[in-house]
Amino acid sequence: MARFILRRAVVLVVTLVSVSFLAFLVPFLSGVDPARAIIRSRVADLAVDSDAAEALRVELGLDQPLLLQYFDWLSHVLRGDLGLSFASRLPVADQIGSALLVSATIAVTALLLALALALPIGTVAALRQGRRVDGLVTFMTQSFVAIPEYWLAPVCILIFAVELGWLPSAGWTGVESLILPAFVLSLRPLAYFSQVMRASMIDVLQADYITAARSRGLGIAQALLRHGLRNGILPVLTIFALWLAGLLGGSVVVEVIFAIPGMGRLVYAAVINNDIPLLQGSMICIVGLAIVINTAADLLYGILNPTVTVAGGATG
Amino acid sequence: MIGQAKAWFFRQHWSFVLGAVVIAAVCTLLFLTPWIAPHDPTNPNLSSRLAGPSAVYWIGTDHLGRDLMSRLLYGGRFSVTIAAMTLLLSAVMGTLIGAYCGRRGGAIDEVTMRTVDVLLSFPEVVVALFLIAIVGPGYGTLIIAMTIVGWTPFARLARGLALELSAKDYVAAAEILGCSKSFILLRHVIPNALRPITAMAFLRFGHKLITVGGLSYLGLGVQPPLSDWGAMLADARPYAERLPILVLAPGIAIMLTALSVTMVGQGLEIGVDRRRGGGPRSSET
Repeated sequence: MARFILRRAVVLVVTLVSVSFLAFLVPFLSGVDPARAIIRSRVADLAVDSDAAEALRVELGLDQPLLLQYFDWLSHVLRGDLGLSFASRLPVADQIGSALLVSATIAVTALLLALALALPIGTVAALRQGRRVDGLVTFMTQSFVAIPEYWLAPVCILIFAVELGWLPSAGWTGVESLILPAFVLSLRPLAYFSQVMRASMIDVLQADYITAARSRGLGIAQALLRHGLRNGILPVLTIFALWLAGLLGGSVVVEVIFAIPGMGRLVYAAVINNDIPLLQGSMICIVGLAIVINTAADLLYGILNPTVTVAGGATG
Repeated sequence: MIGQAKAWFFRQHWSFVLGAVVIAAVCTLLFLTPWIAPHDPTNPNLSSRLAGPSAVYWIGTDHLGRDLMSRLLYGGRFSVTIAAMTLLLSAVMGTLIGAYCGRRGGAIDEVTMRTVDVLLSFPEVVVALFLIAIVGPGYGTLIIAMTIVGWTPFARLARGLALELSAKDYVAAAEILGCSKSFILLRHVIPNALRPITAMAFLRFGHKLITVGGLSYLGLGVQPPLSDWGAMLADARPYAERLPILVLAPGIAIMLTALSVTMVGQGLEIGVDRRRGGGPRSSET
């Protein structure tokens, strides 16, 4: 176990360093000379004085070797200083902090909703494997995956906000504005969670400990509740973590449609405005969080499931 | 030969047959688009804006008076090709890397698989957005961005299959006969891993199609005046109440295509499990 944790920690650190280096490289890769860009924004003149650009470059330390610049930048990032956004002139760290809170609220709501529905749906499908209910569940999950959010979201807005007037169509004002986006975002994870839950419950139902429990006289429901659910739920937790990491930054389309001030819309704005500090900050934050969450999930999985083959690098 | 193929086809699950028929129909339509599209998809006709279905415009026109049917056909070509190209690249790359690592083992295997673990947790859309920010939007950017993350599940699957197949007698026989490592990999391991990998490619298609459309919806995918199904949905949004078919048509096109490909993938996967004699497995994460 200690070896497993150590190895994960090494992977975590290596990845975070590489991601931060990539984020650092963004302005160099996009081919914009920061010194010229800054002068241009200050004097609003297309002809940039080369001497002034050179002086500013020295002042900003842009004449230093790349690695030295990186360590300088990294020391700021590690102290929580991600610079000022080009567009809003606000500290990037503050913007990300508040956006992350919003996205996390939606993501957790949507995923808990999906989980709450997927557990019974997957279990029922597993119990009725090969029957009509199972077929119906399979078809339903396949259909949910095939619905684009950018189709469902406007349709929901049209029905529940415009026609019926029950819920706000956009914005972030309170619990009401959480309902539609969370519902739209929950469908796809619901489908995947149900599929995984079904597959893992089918394995559980064939396990010896369930047969043993049944032969001791427990009903199927009790046998599942006492022994089956804990084991059946483990694979779902792993993809729960993947989805949580994905939704914290990845629900760009839904956040843009519902005008929700979350991470997804922040990244979108950064891309549209070519806002490099904001882009770098959100890149580090989203990818870093994704890695931390998945490492945590792996560790948790190892703790909850003592039979997991840690040494063999269990994949498949 | 044809009779055998036909018999095999209809022995599959009904959803596989239905899905395959729909895919064949969609592919034929999209392939024949330049010949069957009734109008130029980019040609506006402002005198017949937002017209309902008629003899001239079969399912109506959009806010600029462009023929919806033609736009749907041409748009589908973008959506479907980008998603298919991404999957093809991801599957080839993932299979080669995964199978190689599985056969070789050691430090290279370890490092590659940890990289896969990490990449697997990256949100696809966000990776695509970052790449778009750096090199600008476009056809190629979309494919590359989605392949960067997309090859990882294939690598995982191919590695697992390579490990499984390495235990087979025919691989041992080939080794004893002194076949080269690359020969065994290409002749024995990869061909026997193809079916589950194809199933996975089909199962992931819908997701890719929707992701591509999402980026186009945001204006970061296919650029105007061309448009794919996602961009059409974005264009249609302000007029949804006046002419619901503007929103319904591209939406249904995406859903129908995505669902039918998934159904075929599911059918292929069930076949895999039956041959292996194991219970149903989920290859989606």
